[in-house]
Amino acid sequence: MVTWLVRRLRALRHGAALDRAFDAEVRFHLEMQAEKHVGRGLSPEAAWQQSVKDFGPMAKYTEETRDARGVSWFEELAQDVRYGLRTLLKSPGFAAVAILTLGLGIGANTAIFSVINGVLLKPLPYDNGDRLVLIRQSAPLASQQDVGVSIKELYEYREQLASFDGLVEFHQMNFDLLRRGDPDRVATGVVSPNFFDVLGIQPVLGRTFIAEDDREGAEAVLVLGHAYWQTRFGGDPSIVGQVFEMNNRPHTVVGVLPAVPHYPNEVDVYMPTSACPFRSAAERQIETNRRAFAALRVFGLLKPGAAPESAAVEVATVGDRFRQDHPSVYRPDSGFQARTAGVLEELTTNARPMLLILLGTTGLVLLIACANVANLTLARMLRRDRELAMRTALGAGRWRLVRQLLTESTLVSVIGGIVGLVCAWATIDLLATFVERFTPRTGEIGIEPRVLLFTLGVSMLTGLVFGTLPAISSRVDLVSALKAGSKGSGEAPARRRLQGALIVAQVAVSVVLLVGAGLLLLSFFRLQSVDPGYRADRVMSAEIFGNFTRYPNAETLRRFYLDVLDRLEGAPGVTSAAITNSVPLAGLQPGQTNFQIEGRVYDNPDLAPTADVRVASPAYFDTLGIPLLRGRAFSALDHDEAEPVVVINESVARYWDGRDPIGSRVSADNGQTWLTIVGMVGDVRQFGLDREAVAQVYVPLAQNRGGLAGRVLVRMSGDPASATALIREAVHAVDADMPIENVRTLDEIRATYLAAPRLTALLLSVFAVLALIVTVTGITGVIATSVSQRTQEFGVRMALGASRESVLVMVLRQGFTLVAAGLGLGIAAALVLGRVLQSYLYNTTTTDPITFAVVAVAFLMAGILACLGPAWRATTVDPMTALRAD
Amino acid sequence: MDLLHGTLDLLILKTLALGPMHGWGIAQRIQQISEDALRVNQGSLYPALQRLETAGWLDSEWGASERNRQAKFYRLTRAGQKQLREESAQWARMTTAVGKILAHEG
Repeated sequence: MVTWLVRRLRALRHGAALDRAFDAEVRFHLEMQAEKHVGRGLSPEAAWQQSVKDFGPMAKYTEETRDARGVSWFEELAQDVRYGLRTLLKSPGFAAVAILTLGLGIGANTAIFSVINGVLLKPLPYDNGDRLVLIRQSAPLASQQDVGVSIKELYEYREQLASFDGLVEFHQMNFDLLRRGDPDRVATGVVSPNFFDVLGIQPVLGRTFIAEDDREGAEAVLVLGHAYWQTRFGGDPSIVGQVFEMNNRPHTVVGVLPAVPHYPNEVDVYMPTSACPFRSAAERQIETNRRAFAALRVFGLLKPGAAPESAAVEVATVGDRFRQDHPSVYRPDSGFQARTAGVLEELTTNARPMLLILLGTTGLVLLIACANVANLTLARMLRRDRELAMRTALGAGRWRLVRQLLTESTLVSVIGGIVGLVCAWATIDLLATFVERFTPRTGEIGIEPRVLLFTLGVSMLTGLVFGTLPAISSRVDLVSALKAGSKGSGEAPARRRLQGALIVAQVAVSVVLLVGAGLLLLSFFRLQSVDPGYRADRVMSAEIFGNFTRYPNAETLRRFYLDVLDRLEGAPGVTSAAITNSVPLAGLQPGQTNFQIEGRVYDNPDLAPTADVRVASPAYFDTLGIPLLRGRAFSALDHDEAEPVVVINESVARYWDGRDPIGSRVSADNGQTWLTIVGMVGDVRQFGLDREAVAQVYVPLAQNRGGLAGRVLVRMSGDPASATALIREAVHAVDADMPIENVRTLDEIRATYLAAPRLTALLLSVFAVLALIVTVTGITGVIATSVSQRTQEFGVRMALGASRESVLVMVLRQGFTLVAAGLGLGIAAALVLGRVLQSYLYNTTTTDPITFAVVAVAFLMAGILACLGPAWRATTVDPMTALRAD
Repeated sequence: MDLLHGTLDLLILKTLALGPMHGWGIAQRIQQISEDALRVNQGSLYPALQRLETAGWLDSEWGASERNRQAKFYRLTRAGQKQLREESAQWARMTTAVGKILAHEG
């Protein structure tokens, strides 16, 4: 076998040498035979003729011998590749443009595919990934897409669901981890002890949690996330067994997780549920408040063989039962429901449609690139007709020629693929940071074997696609091609029609892309210019969540906040400062609190008004520039012993049907305490620029019963960046150990919020402009070829008295016809395809007439520009030279 | 008389069993031994030689011929010897069978 292979490879490598050796062998044979005949008395000439006759048909045996070497197709391929490379080197301009065009197209596809591979295609790196589902609750009629599961609800799911091997919970808390006196604010995942067993995650060091860790009075333990272990402890292998202080208790590290994506959030450390003081406190009230601690994510492991569909039905049934048994908790008008969701789907649900749209876009860009290179190749074919005719005359079969042309095109596309791979490799990190806004799986994006295979496949396919059209049009009329002038065969109407069709298709596809990009851009600008109801300029925000062991109740925490506020208000450059739990666009979700209006009776108490309740210190409205419409804002007089007051926004005021709400009283605790409305402020779109403002009730910081305000806002008279140091000084002057997090200006927060739509629009625009450029150069190329072929015709026309203007118009009309046809097709296609963008558009329809008009006008102008050069050249034809030529 | 399909290979192997030989020599030997009964285009030898070499039954090497000229010599390989034995046996079986049938008819 090995010798066979060696022989074949040698035969391949030495194909030409073997041919020469065969010639020598045959010559020896003929000479020997001739000598023999001479010996019998023939003349040397007759002897030679006789020996050639004895030998038989030479060409036949030569060919058969070559075939017997058994590698001829391979040899021919090698020949084709060599020949193709030579041909490409002879026209470096064509080669460069073709390779670059395809490289960009293939590169874009490779980059997007590598993201899709990492995010959507790769299975979750959990052992039980395929049996894992999430239990999701929502109240769509109250526009709450995600209603967290409460402790009581989880216990009832555990009791009532039969399809699952285990139901585990997760919630996130931020705690201070003290290591050698150095406070470190850590994102902590609080989980059931069998959480990691259910997910199927094995620790890389130590162990994960066991049931004993969750017992009352058990020693507090921690499991570290891989990234945190690496960044903070340098991957220290002796970390297991080390003790840290957390929540005033020693916590022992028992294990380290592998580098897997965390769900739903990336956290630093994990602790079992019994170690979370908040959850433990809430657990004591679950019999009186079944929605206590409704912040859990619940994962279920399907029993082996359990059908996901029946599990989904089971979960939905339990959800329905909740609603029927407790109508005052799950209000009928909220549409409360429970369902299951695949973990992979949940991880990628935001990214999936966007990635598929991008893949579609890059696919279209590649199609345009293919059409363009096909067109270039066709134009080149016109000049190569004579070469091909010559080769046909010399005995090359038609199939052989087609194969030669396909080899050349595949060569171009594979080199383009390599260029594309480099492009993809260079941009993949950028793309990953973009996708990070949609999914936590970006860590798994990379150029992997599957991506390489994809690129190779796309490259080969590309070569076939753009090579086939020119190749099948290579049916050469021998005689006319050889007779035709040096410019190549003038007559190739079928080919010219093909070129025209390719241009029309390119224009159509580009129009679709441009319309898509235009719609997204328009929507983005509209979103950006929405009046949010507050002023974001020159305001700095920071998060200071008090360590609850040091500030055990609302009272101590409030005193801390008021102290900080005092210091900030006196600081230089500070216009106003506020403490709140409401930072616009910071990613918060609206809550729903039922309240009553004094003096009104509701037949159905479930239909009472609801509002989102936020905490605000006196200067909050000034700091954010929220206009006070009626009454007054809070003041220092609204302290905890004064009459309880609230400020409402316009959306709440509609419950008063145009009457003045100031002075009315409302209650959120069934009339135990009544709060007087003292002011009304403007609506703020704080949960999303694309979401209508919700009904909002503000409670003064000093009268807030809960403790968690946590955010400080500072409006500066100058650069808000200078507030960073002021906030740190003020906070640390009150408590030197208080961590300060997420120090960002409101403009930055707003920019982060807008980043996803902006990047999507930008990315699509880049691709669309790429498509436009490729298409315009394509138009120029085709018109230029056509003009150079018709030089004689123009010469004759002008000799016969046609004006330069009429020639110009003639060429322009040719280009215009193609562009107009493509435009018509493209607009029709965009009207249909645009619908996939609907969910990404704000206040913009997919048939937005302005966008379509702008794209159409832009394309017509680009088309005319593309034709101007060649058209001008047509008018400069000197009739005499043109007629004399050839 | 034309050559039966496939017999050329057998004849080449048999000829080379006597010793290494170049293409022309093989042609001469076959004609001599068969007393010119087998008429065959000498050129048809070469595809056959290439086929046998590709199959691994022959080796070839350039060397000096009788009159000190460069010629390509073919030599039977071990696999070629085995092949020759098998093909000879098969040939013998076949001719015997055909001979029996003919004798019976006669």
